[in-house]
Amino acid sequence: MNHDEIKSVVQEKFLSSERVTAFLCDAKVLHPEWVKKDRLLAIVEYGDEKAVFCLFTSCYPPKSFTDLSIEIVLPIDKSFKCEIDNKPSDPEAILYLNLQSRSNKYKFEIQMTPRVDTFVDDLFRGIEAVNKVPTQPDFVWLKKYSGKINNDILTHTMSIPGGVPHTQTSAPVAIRESLIKHKMSDKEYEYTFTKKFSIFCGTWNVNDKSPVIPLKGWLSVDKEPPDIYAVGFQELDLSKETFLFDQTFREDEWYNAVINYVDKRAKYVKVEKVRLVGMMLIVLIKEKHYSHVRNIVCDTVGTGIMGKMGNKGGVTIRFDLHSTSLCFVNSHLAAHVEEYERRNQDFRDICNRTRFVQPNQLPKAIKDHDHIYWLGDLNYRITELDPVTVKKLVSDNNFVPVLEWDQLKQQHKNKNVFAGYNEGEINFKPTYKYDPGTDNWDSSEKNRAPAWCDRIFWRGQNVVQLAYRSHPSLNISDHKPVSAIFNSSIKIIDEEKYRKVYEEVIKQLDKMENELIPQVKVDRTEIDFGTVRYLELQVRTITIKNIGKLPVEFEFIKKLDETNFCKEWLIVEPYKKCICAEETCEIQLKVLINKTSACKMNAGTDKLYDILVLHLYGGKDIFITINGTYQRSCFGCSIEVLVNLNMPIKEVPVGKLIELENKRDQCVSNQSTYSIPKEIWFLVDHIYLHGLKEPNLFEQPGFHSEILQIRDWLDSGSVDPIPGSIHSVAEALLLLLESTADPIIPYNLQSVCLRASANYLQCKQIIMELPEFRKNVFLYLCEFLQEALQHSAENGLDSKTLSTLFGAIFLRDNPNQTQEPQSRINKQVIDKKKAQFVYHFLVNDHSDLIFSR
Amino acid sequence: MAREFDHLFKLLIIGDSGVGKSCLLLRFADNTFSGSYITTIGVDFKIRTLEINGERVKLQIWDTAGQERFRTITSTYYRGTHGVIVVYDVTNGESFANVKRWLHEIEQNCDVVNKVLVGNKNDCPSRKVVVTEDAQRFANQMNIPLFETSAKENINVEEMFLTITKMVLRSKLEMKERQNVTSKDTVHLKNNIKTKKKCC
Repeated sequence: MNHDEIKSVVQEKFLSSERVTAFLCDAKVLHPEWVKKDRLLAIVEYGDEKAVFCLFTSCYPPKSFTDLSIEIVLPIDKSFKCEIDNKPSDPEAILYLNLQSRSNKYKFEIQMTPRVDTFVDDLFRGIEAVNKVPTQPDFVWLKKYSGKINNDILTHTMSIPGGVPHTQTSAPVAIRESLIKHKMSDKEYEYTFTKKFSIFCGTWNVNDKSPVIPLKGWLSVDKEPPDIYAVGFQELDLSKETFLFDQTFREDEWYNAVINYVDKRAKYVKVEKVRLVGMMLIVLIKEKHYSHVRNIVCDTVGTGIMGKMGNKGGVTIRFDLHSTSLCFVNSHLAAHVEEYERRNQDFRDICNRTRFVQPNQLPKAIKDHDHIYWLGDLNYRITELDPVTVKKLVSDNNFVPVLEWDQLKQQHKNKNVFAGYNEGEINFKPTYKYDPGTDNWDSSEKNRAPAWCDRIFWRGQNVVQLAYRSHPSLNISDHKPVSAIFNSSIKIIDEEKYRKVYEEVIKQLDKMENELIPQVKVDRTEIDFGTVRYLELQVRTITIKNIGKLPVEFEFIKKLDETNFCKEWLIVEPYKKCICAEETCEIQLKVLINKTSACKMNAGTDKLYDILVLHLYGGKDIFITINGTYQRSCFGCSIEVLVNLNMPIKEVPVGKLIELENKRDQCVSNQSTYSIPKEIWFLVDHIYLHGLKEPNLFEQPGFHSEILQIRDWLDSGSVDPIPGSIHSVAEALLLLLESTADPIIPYNLQSVCLRASANYLQCKQIIMELPEFRKNVFLYLCEFLQEALQHSAENGLDSKTLSTLFGAIFLRDNPNQTQEPQSRINKQVIDKKKAQFVYHFLVNDHSDLIFSR
Repeated sequence: MAREFDHLFKLLIIGDSGVGKSCLLLRFADNTFSGSYITTIGVDFKIRTLEINGERVKLQIWDTAGQERFRTITSTYYRGTHGVIVVYDVTNGESFANVKRWLHEIEQNCDVVNKVLVGNKNDCPSRKVVVTEDAQRFANQMNIPLFETSAKENINVEEMFLTITKMVLRSKLEMKERQNVTSKDTVHLKNNIKTKKKCC
């Protein structure tokens, strides 16, 4: 079947107003249970609307539309998305088509063929078209295909019996990798343990100052040196040049200052440093941990002028420590007392715009981390309280009433910002705004209320804040630095345990895959046909039950070097089929020894024995042994053998028969041979005596049951009269002549005969030279036929009909000779010549030939 | 990037009927054992994935019918096989005697292939008739590693499959290396020709 023929079958599945514009026949749907199933994909158009149909076919290629069932309907509407990617291992040959319509997502695996282009083109044309029209099409016509189009099509799909499982070479479990990942993360607790790491986070808006004072009082005040330092600065440099060209010598100044003043009791190395204009973030880690740091990536986001510039925004560093992902954010949010909404927006922008790009991985966002530490000058202020009251309360260390009016506390509580993040209790004085170099509140005219601009938030499991404080003694800026100490649990993988769990998971998946290998149960693998007789059909049935979880397609396949999957005398129905899970299929095995196979059985070149290979696609092969005993008959014996048999064939030992068949070429007449086979004589004589006047002699078929009786009569040498009607006897005669291993006129003389057919004398010459017994049979039969023609008035025979009938028998075509297929005309010409050859002997007196013996 | 496996190897289990070929496969692939004997009428396979030196090896292990009458058909399954596991039953001397025939069968149907000899049912010393020394001597002669296993008691099964897999993997890597060496040689030759030309 070619593509167009299949297409027309697919088209029949739809109304004529619904046109199949493109289709693919070798798609595989990757179901959520990771099993590949063969499907047809079609794009169907109705008016301006198009939809993608995924069809299941019960046989491949589909012969009729009834073989097809619609499984998935994806309307190409505005929500429709199509993404294409290649199979990494085989980008040339395999394509993945990701289709999404409404909330349903499907992945299809497609073999690369030129047709794929047409299909994809058509698909994209549909998508373009639907996006051009202003209104959403309503797809009323699809309702009949899926009443539950808005329901979960997936579940609806799952219940439909699936198609043909995947072929042998590739596993039926797809996307194994993601399954492994998923399973491993489920079992994480089995192979990971945690270790506490202390993390110092510090933030300082340095207000364009150089590090002219020691930083020890900020960075190195704790009992134990922290494992990690994350130090953030804002307003490192407020010069125009820095803003415009993003270059500043302050970067190195402050970086070196940090390096100089971190706790000297431990050795630290830099993880990463990142700066955007005045915002800088430095992450250091104890040297001994550095080998467990991986995938360091940083990013910067400007949210300042025009929402883009780096005067405000955030800088971020992420990395993995053992098996925990960490993210540090240093941000400087929008200024001005009343602008808290802008600050909220800046936070959201930093969250949305920060992207960590790593090779071979999807980009990560801030939220994709186990632990997040967010520090910086967040710039939230105190509103609704007059500066005098604020200053009074904080001077008494009475922070609670002031913090109630802290914008950040309010916004955080309402989840407008830092939703899901934590902040520790604030037990320190506001960090802004001071007169630089002093601990005095800003004395400028603005007279603003002091505020906790500089803050530290965190998010993540098993993170405990141990300290949250400011460091007022560092007074060069109008801000005071702030720091926090965290005790964080870092997950560490136990390599040994990991291996064990991993192996377990792999084994589980292997088991799953093994369970998905097609499995069937065959009720019998040895079929004994018992005694089989000539022309007597015997039927046995075997039952195949699909005991696997998937549909299975079976086929009886050829063994090596053989042209057919079974012997010529065996018929297997069906020899190929798909069985759904839990269902059974009955296979009929029929044995029939007919005119072509009988002679081989008699000669011992074939026997009633065969082993069939029942192949399950993607699965095992089952051997089915066929056995039986053939009861030899005179049908299928050579003329030369029959003339040697002076007893009924039933009484002849099998070995003797085989010996005679094999030596039939050397057969010569002697006293014990008949001149023609007695079986032929019996049949001819019976017709001669009782049937010459029978109407439609040789034209009306006999009865099968009577022919079998005649067979038994001949084989057993019965003394009873021949059973059955004349027509049955006549047909038995024809069958006897057709069943011999060689025809009356040997194959090698056939072309000579055909060439000579116009010339009686030449024909006679050929007959003269025939092997003795063949010549006898030929002439005997011709004599008999001439006799029969005498009674044409009664039996209705004419010489033309008879010569055609017997021409085909005497000059039988060689079945072993692989000829080029004869054209009809050619065959007619040959048949005519055969008839012409015989015709001479039906109309001419050839008694001279008989008497020449 | 996601990869399902680095190598896919086909292993074949052969040997007389009833020596425990299917049980070895069942033990290795599913870690189960069934005492009831079901003769394999055909050719079945299971898969298992191993990691060897960080390389993922997927094994497709074919279990064949051991019965004499199927021998000509089963021999067609030898094609494309990377490793063959020849199994005999240590409690059945004839099955050991037939190992030679099976080895001959391999020679007839495979080019170069890795082999292991496996004496299965090694879990009941009183019934053992093929003594280890004889089997070992024969294995040494044939230059094939010998394993005495018990699918029932799960003795040595994993080790045996691991060994044949490693052998197959090593052969593949060696082959690759040889090809690399030859291709390097070709480059080298070309260079030589160039320099010669310059000399002229």
